[in-house]
Amino acid sequence: MTTESVTSPPGTGKTARVAPTVLAGIGAFAAVGVYVLVSSISLGLWTSLGPGPGLFPFAMGAVLAAMALLWLLQELRNPSETAAGVDRGLVIAVVVSLVLLAAVMDLIGFQLSMFAFLLYHLKVRGRRTWVSSLIIAVAGSFGAFYAFNYGLNVALPVSTIPFLNAIGL
Amino acid sequence: MDTLNELLNGFAAAMTWQNLLFAFLGCLLGTIIGVLPGIGPVAGVALLIPLTLNMDATGAIIMLCAIFYGTAYGGTITSVLLNTPGEAASAITTIDGYAMTKIGKAGAALTIAAVGSFVGGTIATLGLVAAAKPLGELGLLVGPPEFFALMVVGISLLVALAGKSMVKAVISGALGLLISMVGIDPVAGAPRFTFGMDRLLDGVSFVAVIVGVFGLSELLSYRKGDQPAAVHAPNLRSLLPTGKEWLRSAPAMARGTGIGFGLGLIPGMTGSVSSLLSYGAEKKFSRNRHQLGKGAIEGVAGPETANNAHANAALIPLFTLGIPASPTIAVLMGAFLQQGLTPGPTLFTENSEIAWAIIASLFIGNLILLLLNVPLVGLWTSILRVPSSILTALILLFMVIGAYTINFSVFDVFVMIGFGLLGLALRHLDIPLAPMVLTLVLGPLMERSLRESLEISQGDFSIFTSRPISAVLIGLGLLIVFSPLLKLRKPKALNEDPET
Repeated sequence: MTTESVTSPPGTGKTARVAPTVLAGIGAFAAVGVYVLVSSISLGLWTSLGPGPGLFPFAMGAVLAAMALLWLLQELRNPSETAAGVDRGLVIAVVVSLVLLAAVMDLIGFQLSMFAFLLYHLKVRGRRTWVSSLIIAVAGSFGAFYAFNYGLNVALPVSTIPFLNAIGL
Repeated sequence: MDTLNELLNGFAAAMTWQNLLFAFLGCLLGTIIGVLPGIGPVAGVALLIPLTLNMDATGAIIMLCAIFYGTAYGGTITSVLLNTPGEAASAITTIDGYAMTKIGKAGAALTIAAVGSFVGGTIATLGLVAAAKPLGELGLLVGPPEFFALMVVGISLLVALAGKSMVKAVISGALGLLISMVGIDPVAGAPRFTFGMDRLLDGVSFVAVIVGVFGLSELLSYRKGDQPAAVHAPNLRSLLPTGKEWLRSAPAMARGTGIGFGLGLIPGMTGSVSSLLSYGAEKKFSRNRHQLGKGAIEGVAGPETANNAHANAALIPLFTLGIPASPTIAVLMGAFLQQGLTPGPTLFTENSEIAWAIIASLFIGNLILLLLNVPLVGLWTSILRVPSSILTALILLFMVIGAYTINFSVFDVFVMIGFGLLGLALRHLDIPLAPMVLTLVLGPLMERSLRESLEISQGDFSIFTSRPISAVLIGLGLLIVFSPLLKLRKPKALNEDPET
């Protein structure tokens, strides 16, 4: 069994396939639409005062599910070209490093976590020299912390670890 | 006379040293965003909202507006010098702008582009001054049904004009509306789609969503080889156009202003359509049309004037009716709301001083950009020489700070990452992002006006068709949505416009 739908575009005689990523996208939108549709009923579509909190989401869920179905029909008739692939290495490196940064930022503070994050992107991924990597990482972490905290009065997080907190990190 | 007095008071408020500094900083940052490939005006404005968090409302909006129209100036520089548009509206400028660079006339092209942008921006701002009062007063006459119908028209236009497929544009719009519904329901107070998370009771952070969908996803969709080629700044002597070039540019600027101003008023039309139509007008009406494509100054003057006239004219529906005409204006509207200001007719009754100060700052900002752009062309081109690894790291730094500082919560950084991945998926599926931003901002207002209308009519939907203004607007919205069935065609430029 294959996940690809095989169709013939009208008039071409050639066999074209709906890309699996497109099918997955359509499935995801349909699922979200149906979920919203069902859960908005429990929110209440109508109250004694008038429209309930579920009315608008119900309508939007219905629109999303209907459009997903319409898109599927369009794809089956005439499959669209898929966009060029992404650089998976870049996506993984950026997303994982951001998740790690967000996970430790409250614990070790903005300055240390951002310093490590920038150093990774500059030295490890960007292959910059040690000197330029360190200068930019220090400016982007410690420098940004002081600029935002004292210049713009916008507080960036400090560490919750007492030792680090005590030394201003 | 009233309008003139209020404008003069606005100038007095806008010309304090703090507000002049904010306008200057906004122009500077906007130009940098426009110059940098890979970060568009939508994400750029959203990203810099945190810088304005602790400012007073006037200064904050002055700075964000300056960032907004600064991007339109900045995008020209890479179009002329590198054959790579910094933002979509400057794409058509590459044809004659880069051809002028190849024959050693880059300086003249950049100067004419800057002057054209100034002319277009200033005349469009004069249009805003003239339209502010009458349109604002008209806006005060509309009740919840008319307001709902007006938003239906705005969203219908954007959905109809965005991307290649209307089905995909509707999906994008519906997603934005659903995201805007997360949190406490504004009328009944019931939590919706919070999945038991207290952090979601206040809804999803608008800035985190925009930065993720427009900024992070754009960065994630980079491919190897996207780094621009080496660039050299023109010397100062070559910046001065000849008398003949000035004379040839004037009619092109006049045509560009008219086209940009007219199209800027229509929700869904982007700056790229204005610049493209302006180029088309030059091809048809210019005396030197046979030179277009080979380095004709009209090919730079017309489109650059048009896209700046468009950018400033697009502020008119926002200021007078509270309707954002483009995704970047929707982000600006979010910033207005964040500062406690409601764009629309009530802006001129409740916050008149702030509104006029912002309008006056548009004149000042356009002048700052004219003075800033041409002499500093060497600085702008040096930004392009910064290696992409350093730019990526610094853009990520600002994204994290931008997402975090809205609610001072790491949760919003996770929201940004999640929406970055969603944005990447939407780009891959060729789903336009613009309707999502617009409905994200308008969603709560639209829902509130719908429910208020139905409460007034005690649940009778005919309230939208029995009142003449709302009936006409709803009819117009339906006509727009069903325009493909009527075989009405939209401008081709909108299919490929990254802003949509």
